[in-house]
Amino acid sequence: MKYEGLLERINWLIRLRWIAVTGVILTVFVVQKIVRLSLPFFPLYLISILIGLYNLLFFLYVRHIRKKQLPDIETRTNVIANLQIALDLFALTSLIHFSGGIENPFIFYFIFHMIIASILLSRRASFLQATFAACFFILMVGLEYFNILDHYCLKGFVVNDLYMNKVYIFGTSFAFITTLYLAAYMASSISIRLKDREKSLKEANLLLEEKDRIKSEYVLRVTHDIKEHISAIQSCIEPVAEGMLGELNSGQKDLIRRAGERTSKLIFFIKALLDITRIKLSKDIEMKEFSLVKTAESAIILVDPKAKAKGISISRHINIGIGLIKGAQVYVEETIANLLANSVKYTPRGGKVEITIEDKDNLVLIQISDNGIGIPKNELPNIFNEFYRATNAKELERDGTGLGLSMAKQVVERHHGRIWVDSEEGKGSIFSIMLPKKQSLL
Amino acid sequence: MARILIIDDDPDIVEAMRVVLESKDYKVVSAKSGAEGLKKIKLEKPDLVILDVMMETMDKGFEVAREIRNDKNYKHIPILMLTAIKDKIGMDFKKEAGDETWLPVDDYVEKPLKPQELLEKVEKLLKAK
Repeated sequence: MKYEGLLERINWLIRLRWIAVTGVILTVFVVQKIVRLSLPFFPLYLISILIGLYNLLFFLYVRHIRKKQLPDIETRTNVIANLQIALDLFALTSLIHFSGGIENPFIFYFIFHMIIASILLSRRASFLQATFAACFFILMVGLEYFNILDHYCLKGFVVNDLYMNKVYIFGTSFAFITTLYLAAYMASSISIRLKDREKSLKEANLLLEEKDRIKSEYVLRVTHDIKEHISAIQSCIEPVAEGMLGELNSGQKDLIRRAGERTSKLIFFIKALLDITRIKLSKDIEMKEFSLVKTAESAIILVDPKAKAKGISISRHINIGIGLIKGAQVYVEETIANLLANSVKYTPRGGKVEITIEDKDNLVLIQISDNGIGIPKNELPNIFNEFYRATNAKELERDGTGLGLSMAKQVVERHHGRIWVDSEEGKGSIFSIMLPKKQSLL
Repeated sequence: MARILIIDDDPDIVEAMRVVLESKDYKVVSAKSGAEGLKKIKLEKPDLVILDVMMETMDKGFEVAREIRNDKNYKHIPILMLTAIKDKIGMDFKKEAGDETWLPVDDYVEKPLKPQELLEKVEKLLKAK
């Protein structure tokens, strides 16, 4: 959405203006108390306060339209962007008028407004703002020159009454106005180039996403076809292996067993591949309320036999006070079971595996830790990548899809959560998942 | 011995199942499509139907199951659904009648076939009947 970027920049300008207001008040204070120039300080403070006030109004208004998401939000955003800059120009002109007019060296601060306008607005609008600035400036200088407005001389800063000096006025005005337009031109050139770059990067990114989707669809179709065949193969092997067509001799038995094991592995791999491809391709996954505690329990039950077989006990520190959370229960259960199974797989006999679930206000923290083989430090950034397996994991276990952790990452990210790992090779790993309790809070 | 009708368009799966079921002396008949299956139900009067979810279309199996359930002569026949790898995720087999996604089956087994699991489920359903 185009206006989102503009709103972002407007917020940046609002933050900048808070700093500017503070700066103005401090400068006026220093001039009053330390430099001791005689100036009309009351209007100077008053203008500063007014700037602060309209900044507050803009702040509240931006928050309001962001929340409401009104249909005409784009127009509104454009209007406030233009209005803000025009108001700023007027405020700066007034400040300068009460502090020496053309004699005040701060007139060049108008350049900042030109730069800001060029970043926020189109080139045409920023030239329009430059024209506004020039008009305000000429108006101020002219009205002071013809004594229609009072001139507040910066006595002690400039020698003579420069504001009556025609050569000075023309020279300064010329330099000033050309500076305004040049600043607007240069800043908008840079800004346009950056915006174009941003646009083409975005387009390239979209193209990549589309390519990735096509790849996933291809993978899904191929896996589907393979799965039908492998399923039939396995279905035919099993009855033979179990001697339903008569006892096999030991050689037959051995080969059939090998074939059966290989198809089982292939089926396991196909399941993982189907899972991850489906979740990647699905636009929405169905979210319902479910009990995280019960889900964690059933995940533990799934993994428990394998753990027991290795003499590993899974200890639990589960805050049973956690109520229902919203999400895709099947996926969350699979993810927890997956991480637990990983821990069991890569922890030596008699090791420790632990699951902790903590309540963190709007979030839940699920941690699965072990004192297993850990992950080499230089491989940590890769372990959530598809098909990646750590070198020490491959040494220990020849079989593995390399898809478990990337699936976990997909699931967690679809829940707007975060998954990360802390690990030290030879000491163990801690996998952490942070999930929001209610998806709607985001 | 109980008569079992297998409705599945994959002949290899049908043969594998036949071997498993015949090892326990069940009488096995088969049909290659949903339409043929519905005909055979009338012809063979099976004690149990094993039904593949995915035949000519994605959910032809459900259609057939609903048709069996809506026929007062056959609605008592237990149905064992056969699902493909990973297709059961998110399926709710116990929804109420009338619902679009109502799956009027008694139990399911996931492919690839595990002979013991198949035999146990078949036995259980026949006993419950």
